[in-house]
Amino acid sequence: MVLINSKDVSAEFSFEKEKAIAKSFSQRFQWEMILIGIGQAMIWLSLWPLVFNGIIPLWAGFCIASLCACFAYLPSHESQHGNYSRGNPKMRWLDSLVGHITLITLISPYEILRVTHMKHHAYTNDHEKDPDYLSAHSGSLMKTIKRAADGSSVSDYEKSLEVFAHDKNFVNSYTKAIPIALLYRATLLTLVVIFPLETLLLWWIPAKIGTVYTVVFFAYLPHLGTSKGRYQDTRFWSHWMPRYINHSMQLHFIHHLHPGIGHYDEPKAIEALKPFLVARGVPGADKIPDRITYNPLIKI
Amino acid sequence: MLVEKLFDHITNWSKFWFGLIFLGSVINELANQSGMFISVSSLYLWTYGLGAMIGLIAKIRGAWF
Repeated sequence: MVLINSKDVSAEFSFEKEKAIAKSFSQRFQWEMILIGIGQAMIWLSLWPLVFNGIIPLWAGFCIASLCACFAYLPSHESQHGNYSRGNPKMRWLDSLVGHITLITLISPYEILRVTHMKHHAYTNDHEKDPDYLSAHSGSLMKTIKRAADGSSVSDYEKSLEVFAHDKNFVNSYTKAIPIALLYRATLLTLVVIFPLETLLLWWIPAKIGTVYTVVFFAYLPHLGTSKGRYQDTRFWSHWMPRYINHSMQLHFIHHLHPGIGHYDEPKAIEALKPFLVARGVPGADKIPDRITYNPLIKI
Repeated sequence: MLVEKLFDHITNWSKFWFGLIFLGSVINELANQSGMFISVSSLYLWTYGLGAMIGLIAKIRGAWF
C-alpha cells in the first residue's frame, strides 16, 4: 500500500480543489433514491395482503420481500447523511421520513443506524471506535456473514453506546431510537404468534438476507485490507458481478471522501476526481477506468 | 426504575424470549402443518419448549450459531 504524505501532493490536486469538484456533484435532489426507499417499503407492505388473500404464493412473497430488503438500506444511508435535505433545516423531515420508512423492511431503527454510521465515518477502521470495524475486519467473508446473520453487528452498536458514553448527542439519539427498536421487536413477536410462516418468510428471513447483503457489500468488501486515514480507509475494488447487483459499492471510497455526493452521481464524480484519487494514493485508484459505464451488465 | 429493569431484562433475556415466542411459533406451525405429530397430545408444549430451549442455549452460549 502506498502512503502519500499530503505535503507531497502537488497544489494541482489540493484538497480545496478536490472539495470544489466534489461539491458540484453534491447538489442534485435525489428523487430516484426516495422512490426506491418508499417504493420498496410499499411493495413489501403490499405483500402481506397479497399473500393472505392467496393472490401470490408465500414463496413468491418471500423472494420479492428478500429483494426489497436488499434495496432497503441505501435510501436510508442517504438520509443518514442528510442528502435529501442538503442542509436545508426545513427539509430535514424528508431525511427522517425516508430513513425510517425504508428501514421497516430491515427491522432496523433509523436513528441507531444514523448515529453509528456517523461514528463509522469519523473513525473508519479504528478497532475501538468504528462501530462497523468487526463487520469489515472479521477475518473472512464467512465470519462477516455469520456475524451479520446472528445479530453480532447489532451488539457492536450496543457496545458503541459505552465507547461514546461521553458524547451526549450520540447517546441522546441512540436512546431515542430504543423505543422504536422495542416496537419492532414487539410487532415481530406479536405477528409471529398470529401468522408464523408469513412473519418468518415475509419479514424475518428477508431482513436477515438484506442485512447480510448490506454488511457484505457496504462494510466488508469496501474496507477489506484497508488501514486508517482519509485516503486509505476505503478502496476501489472490482469483481465479476455486474455492479448494479451490489449497489455499485466498488465506488464506496468516493462516498467516504465526500459523503454529500449523491449515490447515482458518484460515477461522474469519480471520473472527474480520478487524478486527485491517484495522486492521494487511494487503494486501487490506479485501476479506476477513465469512464465508468452505466451499463448494468458491465462490472465497472 | 421499573422501565430500566424491564429494559435490562429484555436485553439480557432477548434470546430466550425470541426462542420461546418466535422459534416456538414457527416450529409449532411447521409441526401442525406437517401432520406427522397429529397423535402427540399438547403438541404446542413440545414445540414452544423446543423454541425456548434453543433460545436458552443461545443465551448461555452468548450466540445463536
